[in-house]
Amino acid sequence: MSDTQFDAALDILRRLNPTTLQENLKNLIELQPNLAQDLLSSVDVPLSVQKDPTHSHREYLCCDYDRDIDSFRSPWSNTYFPELSPEDLLDSPFPSAPLREMEILANDSFDVYRDLYYEGGISSVYLWDLNEDDFDGHDFAGVVLFKKNQSDHSNWDSIHVFEVTASPSTPGSFDYRVTTTIILHLDKPKNDQDSHMMLSGNLTRQTEKGIAVDMSRPLDVISTSHVANLGSLIEDIESQMRNLLETVYFEKTRDIFHQTKNAAIASSAEEANKGAHAEIIKGLQSL
Amino acid sequence: MSSSKFEEVVNKIISDSPPGELREIYDDLIKITSESSKNTILDAIENYNVQNCIPIDVDGNSIIISKYNKEGSKFFDPVHSVIFSVDHLGHRGLDIEPYEFTHPKLDKEQLKRLHDQFREYLAQNFPGDVSFAVYPVPEEPSKISIIIVSTKYNPNNFWNGHWKSSYIYDLDTKELTGHISTQVHYYEDGNVSFQSGKAIGQNNVVDVVSTIRDVETSFENELDFSFSDLNEKQFKALRRRLPVTRSKINWGKAIGSYRLGKNAAEGK
Repeated sequence: MSDTQFDAALDILRRLNPTTLQENLKNLIELQPNLAQDLLSSVDVPLSVQKDPTHSHREYLCCDYDRDIDSFRSPWSNTYFPELSPEDLLDSPFPSAPLREMEILANDSFDVYRDLYYEGGISSVYLWDLNEDDFDGHDFAGVVLFKKNQSDHSNWDSIHVFEVTASPSTPGSFDYRVTTTIILHLDKPKNDQDSHMMLSGNLTRQTEKGIAVDMSRPLDVISTSHVANLGSLIEDIESQMRNLLETVYFEKTRDIFHQTKNAAIASSAEEANKGAHAEIIKGLQSL
Repeated sequence: MSSSKFEEVVNKIISDSPPGELREIYDDLIKITSESSKNTILDAIENYNVQNCIPIDVDGNSIIISKYNKEGSKFFDPVHSVIFSVDHLGHRGLDIEPYEFTHPKLDKEQLKRLHDQFREYLAQNFPGDVSFAVYPVPEEPSKISIIIVSTKYNPNNFWNGHWKSSYIYDLDTKELTGHISTQVHYYEDGNVSFQSGKAIGQNNVVDVVSTIRDVETSFENELDFSFSDLNEKQFKALRRRLPVTRSKINWGKAIGSYRLGKNAAEGK
């Protein structure tokens, strides 16, 4: 595989019908199997949902970041489902114990957020270490996921992938880098007039912010600060993205549609005509 | 991969492409596969152009190609009386030759009159690059095919818009059937697709142009309503602009108190 091929595949995916993204992804991999790993890890697809049998079947969200083989780690019990064999588990990725503590706190916090903003839906947060050693308050990465499926006709997936690293220039400060993709699908239920309408796709934005964290405090306090910083950052980003989606989906596309078809130009032409007639009559009357 | 499987995959990718972006998809596919797949991709694009009634530049005139004006591997234009081959990637007519059009039910004068009426309607309703066609339906002399295509491509600003309406009008029974389909692609830091369509069926159509004007205007009005409706109802129900509490979240250790507050309010 070359970078040229990878870029070409990404270019195709941002052009083809987004409702058949999974199928298009599969087809591109058929054409060029070498692209499989890079495409699967970098293209955001709608999140799938699984239940944690050890946690009253509570639902959690699945993506490439909590996957190992064909199993997905639950944020509620820290266990992969379907369960992996003891041999496979030896190689399975897990956050270090102190990072898992932060993961529990993050899941709890974003669950409150989910309830307040989505009034339903599902959330999941997964963290992973960026250092060889156990987490000590420094560099880590993760993903915050939300899904709300209101009906067969509307679906929202938020995917916030982030990295938190100590700033190389400012001591005591951390760089929070977040890449957010929101996949939004809306369609109008078919009515008896045999008409249909669908708005579907995704938008991606990147945000970066430096925030100071007091590293002299105990690790659990530092972890709480990181989660609070990520929380308000993601809260801001999602609000901006919600506005952006509203603008693109409902104003921009409608605008572009009217640049191909617009009956209003006919009436404005008629008015212009009437205006011209009135001018002539006025002109005649003043003679 | 077998060659039939390869063809199937290429056809699927091409048929899923938005109008106006075939050149880019072609270049990408060549990079992903190789120059040797050129003919398979071009065949798929030819099918795409005919099925989607893509307008072709023939000596400065914009001529729609479709299954109705296909003759062998060439296409004819009854109004300019020419027959031509097509460069399907460049959307240009080649080997243009004279062609005499005859139709048992529609003479050239009538055809011209219809054209003039359409031209007036289109000028008043389609601000995009608009093309239209009135073609005979092969083997069915009482029927004519009417196609309108309006495009507005703006790749510099990452969007393209496309309108297509196509009808079959029966000159004897005065029945009009057809389909309107429209799509918009917006792809700046993302990939957003809007698609809408409607099937049309009308009886006792005497003035075909004014009937088409009416159904297309009502389609447009319904669409404006649907945009607002989807926004007001479905979109708003997915994620709130502000939390239930009307103010931003107080993050930190005490965030659990929201839950306590909610449980207390619900009497848990």
